[in-house]
Amino acid sequence: MEFKVNSKELEKLLTKIIPAVPSRTPMPILENFLFEIKDGALTIYATDLEISLKSSLNIVAEENKNIVVPAKLLYEVVRSLSETTIHFEITDNGKLNLKTDSGEYTLSYLDADEYPDIPSFPGSDTEKEDINELTISGTELRYAFERAAFAMSKEEMRPAMMGMLFEFGEEGLRFVATDGHRLVNLLKEKVKLDAPAQFIVPERAVSVSLKLFDEKDVKLYLSKTHISFMLNDIELITRLIGQKYPDYSSVIPLENEFKMKVKTKELHSIIKRMMLFSTSNTRRVKFSISENKLEVSAEDLDLGTSGKEVLEVEYSGDAIDIGFNSQYVNDVLTHCGSEEDLIFKLHSPTKAVIIEPEKQKDNQELMMLLMPVRLNN
Amino acid sequence: MRTIFHLDLDAFFVEVERILDPSLKGKPVIVGANPEYGRGVVSTCSYEAREYGLHSAMPIRQAYKLCPHGIYVHGSHGEYSRYSKAVKHILEKYAPMIEQAGIDEFYMDFTGCRNVYGSLFMFASKIQKEIWDKLSLPCSIGIGSNKTIAKIGSDCMKPKGITYIMPGMEKEFLAPMPVETIPGVGKVTLQELHSKGIYRIGDITKLSEEYFLFAFGKHGGGLWKKANGGGSEYLNPPQERKSISKERTYGKDINDRAEIEATLFKLTGQVCQLIRDKNWQAATVSIKLRYSDFITLTRAKTIKPTDDDKIIYNTALALLRKGDTRRVSVRLVGIHLTKFNEFSEQEILFEDKDTIRKKMLRAVTKIRDKYGYSVVQFGRTEKVSDRFVNPFHPEGN
Repeated sequence: MEFKVNSKELEKLLTKIIPAVPSRTPMPILENFLFEIKDGALTIYATDLEISLKSSLNIVAEENKNIVVPAKLLYEVVRSLSETTIHFEITDNGKLNLKTDSGEYTLSYLDADEYPDIPSFPGSDTEKEDINELTISGTELRYAFERAAFAMSKEEMRPAMMGMLFEFGEEGLRFVATDGHRLVNLLKEKVKLDAPAQFIVPERAVSVSLKLFDEKDVKLYLSKTHISFMLNDIELITRLIGQKYPDYSSVIPLENEFKMKVKTKELHSIIKRMMLFSTSNTRRVKFSISENKLEVSAEDLDLGTSGKEVLEVEYSGDAIDIGFNSQYVNDVLTHCGSEEDLIFKLHSPTKAVIIEPEKQKDNQELMMLLMPVRLNN
Repeated sequence: MRTIFHLDLDAFFVEVERILDPSLKGKPVIVGANPEYGRGVVSTCSYEAREYGLHSAMPIRQAYKLCPHGIYVHGSHGEYSRYSKAVKHILEKYAPMIEQAGIDEFYMDFTGCRNVYGSLFMFASKIQKEIWDKLSLPCSIGIGSNKTIAKIGSDCMKPKGITYIMPGMEKEFLAPMPVETIPGVGKVTLQELHSKGIYRIGDITKLSEEYFLFAFGKHGGGLWKKANGGGSEYLNPPQERKSISKERTYGKDINDRAEIEATLFKLTGQVCQLIRDKNWQAATVSIKLRYSDFITLTRAKTIKPTDDDKIIYNTALALLRKGDTRRVSVRLVGIHLTKFNEFSEQEILFEDKDTIRKKMLRAVTKIRDKYGYSVVQFGRTEKVSDRFVNPFHPEGN
């Protein structure tokens, strides 16, 4: 059988779904794309068993057929072609021929039987009852992912923390990420499901989908085991982390009575300089906070270098000395870069510090939590 | 010309014991091994005990024969280091540079400080008085142009002496002294010197450097220089500790492996306390086992840096069990930690078993720093503690 596609259109599609092709896998079949030709549409799938991406093109084809094509090779060929029409020819002896005006390339394909099943949404009628459906704007999802993604854990000790929590409750949808040292908690009001529910989306799904979101609406399908982000032209389906998320709400301090207001940009530029002076293995910076004054300092005893800077802030609480990992402070400030002023809520040198934008956006509440590093005097 | 002070605390251990127990004042006090076990040596003895011919490093059995009515104490080493630190703290106020040469002696470099502190002699007596007033510890100070001469100076007027050897007077000062006054002249060298008819330091200076190089080698050259008033002029700056170790020599060789393991547990607790105090984590754990025939076994293993007793003990124990294949009684067991890195304690949000344990260890470290090491013990330590109860100070350790 034969069909034709525009090389640039195909390249655009493949570029979007190739992130789901694993570079190293014990299952060689996953290094392929699944081509599903059905009723005048070519749907291409890629999966690493955790996340799956699929996207479709309209083609003219007489029959339906599923084949499995080497992903990297096809992608590299298509990418290197200038804009032209590619004639695909699927022969019965396992060859896929690509013909352009001037060239002819032959790839081997495999039968689709061995390719793993990829769940499809919204699913059959019987499954539908267990699936929640929801529409949310791509801009909002992107905003949430950008703010929270950095705080997800990379350590496999606690698998639940290696993902982002989507928690639907009374107030709305909360995005939560933490690695045990810092925590981001973003509430989107008015986004609700019928009943409270928790879903943990793995880190890879978050980072891959972040690149796909634009201003258009995203349709979410949530089942007990999977979540699907359906965009205009592409769908990302991910397995959920089937673990219990730690009880983050119990660690959010309520009694942080001292509030410090700082200019985000000014503090950020100070932190960047202090990172040059903090010891490479502890990366510790010290915040000495007193009335309307914040002194940030760092030193490396091994190298004999040190730095300190003073910043004018709004603060009227008790004087307090508190240490942080400078990298963590930098992360927080990088991801709050668009906020003009931040409020640091403190209690004591060993208790969690809450960091919030001074002005919250409409229908949303952003909160970051940072655990200090002990200062040994 | 440099100005070096050598400060030596007089009968330091004994004086600390006397602060802790004033009834010991004026009595012959011997700090060292327990004479009942019959092994070990005298660490320090009071001037009253020295009148019976006792001195440091004398076998305890011999000391007991010479002075059976003396008061023998096992020693409160935690207290000694506390007082030693307090002395150093006083010295740090004045000295631009200090080299601590032992628990009870300090070199200080006061070169160029005459304009600041005035008369060196008066200044030394001010330091001496301050240490006495604040800590009730007597000390002797030697002032000279190098470390050797300062040390000999502090030694020659003990106790509570101050000796200032004016620059240029070194040779005359040393000449009448017996050769063993020179630091580094031990039994063997002394015998050789005596065999050559050399008794006084002045006898050395009458001979040429070449002769000493020929007769005693490199060591002889150094000896000749010291006799002529020479010596090292520069202090060794304090060095970062590269290793921490603890050893235990048994009063009597033992065969009970369970007891050796219990000792190892106790020693591990002590080294871990030390590294936690410094906020360090150790990556290499070594053990040492000396058998009664003096064959010594050492084994080492590198692990993920930690300061946790449990992990370090388990590593050490595995090394011990694997290495100790001989059926011979054991004289000494020790643990040795190296490859340190400083770490910062990042507080964490969700407590699990590990972090609760870390918190517990941190609390234990704090309590021990305040009230002494032995106030908190892990369950296993008991057996060893029982055995090592000090018969003279049964409540302390």
